[in-house]
Amino acid sequence: MKIRYTITGLDCPNCAAKLANMIEGKEGISSAKINFLTEKLTVETELNEREAYGIVESTAKAFSRDIKVEK
Amino acid sequence: MKKSKNKISELLTRDLTRIIASALLLILAIIFEGSTMPEGVSVGLYTIALAIAGCKVFFDAARGILRRDLLDEKFLMSVASVGAMIIGEHGEGVAVMLFFLLGEAFEKHAVKRSRASIRALMDIRPDEARVILDGEERMEDAEDVKIGSVISVRAGERVPIDSEIILGSASVDTSGMTGEAIPRSYKTGDIIESGVVVLDGTLILKTVRTAENSAASRILALVEEAGENKSVEERFITKFSRFYTPIVVVSALVLAVFLPIFNITSLENAIYRALMFLVISCPCALVISVPMAFFGGIGGAASRGILYKGGNVFAPLASLTAVAFDKTGTLTTGKFEIQKALPKGISEEELIELAAMAEAGSNHPIATALSNVSHSKKKPVTQTEYAGEGIVAVFSDMTLAVGNGTLMQRLGVELDDALEGAILVARDGVFVGELILSDSVKTEASNTVSSLYSLGVKTTVMLSGDKREKALAVAETVGISKALFELSPEQKYEQLRLLRSANEKVAYVGDGINDAPALALADVGIAMGGVGQDAAIESADVVIMSDSLDRIPEAIKISRMVLAIAKFNIAFALAVKLLILILGALNIANMWLAVFADVGVAVIAILNSMRTLISRRPKV
Repeated sequence: MKIRYTITGLDCPNCAAKLANMIEGKEGISSAKINFLTEKLTVETELNEREAYGIVESTAKAFSRDIKVEK
Repeated sequence: MKKSKNKISELLTRDLTRIIASALLLILAIIFEGSTMPEGVSVGLYTIALAIAGCKVFFDAARGILRRDLLDEKFLMSVASVGAMIIGEHGEGVAVMLFFLLGEAFEKHAVKRSRASIRALMDIRPDEARVILDGEERMEDAEDVKIGSVISVRAGERVPIDSEIILGSASVDTSGMTGEAIPRSYKTGDIIESGVVVLDGTLILKTVRTAENSAASRILALVEEAGENKSVEERFITKFSRFYTPIVVVSALVLAVFLPIFNITSLENAIYRALMFLVISCPCALVISVPMAFFGGIGGAASRGILYKGGNVFAPLASLTAVAFDKTGTLTTGKFEIQKALPKGISEEELIELAAMAEAGSNHPIATALSNVSHSKKKPVTQTEYAGEGIVAVFSDMTLAVGNGTLMQRLGVELDDALEGAILVARDGVFVGELILSDSVKTEASNTVSSLYSLGVKTTVMLSGDKREKALAVAETVGISKALFELSPEQKYEQLRLLRSANEKVAYVGDGINDAPALALADVGIAMGGVGQDAAIESADVVIMSDSLDRIPEAIKISRMVLAIAKFNIAFALAVKLLILILGALNIANMWLAVFADVGVAVIAILNSMRTLISRRPKV
C-alpha cells in the first residue's frame, strides 16, 4: 500500500534524505521517499494506516522535535 | 495550515534576533580585544556571543550524537566553532557559527519563497464545491461530491470538478490549466474542466467525474510525481553527498593527526586547518539548489500549460535533433467539418446519420465532427475501435462500420472502384457511401517548425495515416522537410524506430490512442491537448495542456535553462569547495574563506536556482 503524508519542519534536503532512510529501515516499511520542496512523504508498506503512521511519526519525532507529519 | 506558516516566520524572527544579538557582542568583543582591557573580558564576550548564536545548533548536534550520526552538519559546525575558540581563534569561532545561522535563515527563506510560488502556480484546485440539493446551495468538500451532482460556480470562481454545463454560458479563463491567456467561451452542453476560472455569469453544472479524477487533481498529481523521476544531475548529487562529507571529515582528521606528527606544523595550526575542512564538509549548496532548479522548472512550466513527467525529461529534450509530428489534431486543428457526403443507395442525411450513430461517444476527432450533426438518440450495444482503421458499432437491429479501406477489407465489405478514399461507411456489410472531412492547419504550426530549426533541430518528419495529397499539402504549408503518409500505427512506430537508430534524439508529438506506442518509444514523447486521452498521457514524457504547438520550443528552452543552471551550480560549488579545501590544507585560506565556501556558495547557488521560478504566467 502507498500512503502519502505531508511533512513539515524539515531543515534541509540532506536531513530529509536521512530521515527517509531511517523510516525505510523500520520493519514493515519497504520504501520511504521525501520530496523536500513539496513537503510530501510517500511510504510503501504492508502495515495498516494506523501502524504505519505510528512508526513514521515516532521516527520523525526522534529525528527532530520540529518535524510534523500529517495525513 | 495558517498556524504552521506563522510558526515558521516566528522561528525566522527568533533566528534573526539571535544573529543580531550575537553579532553585536562579537563586534564589542573585537573592540575590547584591541583595547587595554584585560583579555578575560573579551574572551568572556566571545563565549557569550557563541552561546547565544549556537545554543540551538548545539542542542541539535547533541541529538545527532544520540542517534549516532557523527556526520551531522550541525555537529560538525559545533566542533568547528568550539574548536576554533579552544585554539584561541575566538573571533573566527563565533563568525563560523554566525554565518552558518545566517545561511540557514536565508536557505529557509528561499525554500519558503519557492514553495509559496510553486503553491501559487499550483493553486488550481478549489477544496470546496457549492452543491445544489433540494433547491438549496451548500458548500461541501469537493472530495465528497458524487458524480452526477449539481453544483454552481459564480463569476470569479474556479470550477472545482470536471462537469457538464447544464445551464448558463460564460467566458472562462483557462490560463491556470493551459497557459492560454485568451478567455474561451463555454455554453450549455459543453464539458468544462476543473481548474478554470469563470469570468462572467453563473454556471450550473452537473459533475461528470469525482474531484480526485478531475483534470486539476490529475495535473497536480503529475507535477508532484514528477519530483520522483530524478534527472542525472539530481542522482549524481544524491550519490555525491553520500561520499563527500565522510571524505572531507576523514581528511580533516588526517590533517590534524599527521601534520604535527611529521612536524610540518604545530598542533594548533593543524587543528585550525582541520576545522576549516569541517566548515566546508556540508554539500548543502548542491543538495538544495540542484533539485530546486528542476522543481522550479517543472512548477514554472506547469503554469504555462507544459507538464514534464520528471526531471529526467530535461536532458533529452534539451538535445533533440529530430522531431516527428502526427498530423491530425497535432499539426492540424483536428476539428473536422463534413466537406462532402457521397451516399450510395441512401440519402445524404441518412449517410451522415449512420456515421454519427456509429461514432457516438468515441473520442476520435472525426466522431466530434459528426456529433454536431447527429440527431439520433440510439445507442450502440457494443463499439469496437480499431486503431488507425475505424470503428465498428453493433446495434440491436444492425451493424455499422465507419473507417478506411483497411477496415472494410477486414470486414470483407465490397467497395466501389471510384473512391475518394475518405471515411467509408458500411451497414450490415454493405457499402453505403463515403464522407469527406477536412480540418485546417494550426496557425502557429509553421512558426513552431522554424523555431525548432533555430533551436538546433535538424530533421522534422510528419508521420500521417492520411492520404498522400493531404499529407504533403500540410507538410509543405508548415515547412516540414519529410512527410510519410498512409501509415498504420505499426508503421508509424517502425518509422520512428528507424529514425532513432539513425542516431537521432527524437521527439514524437502526437495525441490520441493511435499515438501511444510512438509516444512511449520516442526519446521524448510530447502529448498535445490536455488530460483528455489517458493512453497518450500515460506514455508521454511531456504533456502540453493547450493545443498550441508553440509550447514545444518553449519546453525546449525551459529545459535548457534548467539544465544550464543545475550544471553551473554543480561546477561552481565543486570548484569553490575544492579550491578552498586545497588552500586550507596548504594554510593559505582562512576560516572566513571556508565560511564563504560553505554558506556563500549555498546562497549564490540557491539564488541562481530560484531564477527558474520566475513566473511564466501569461499576461492577461
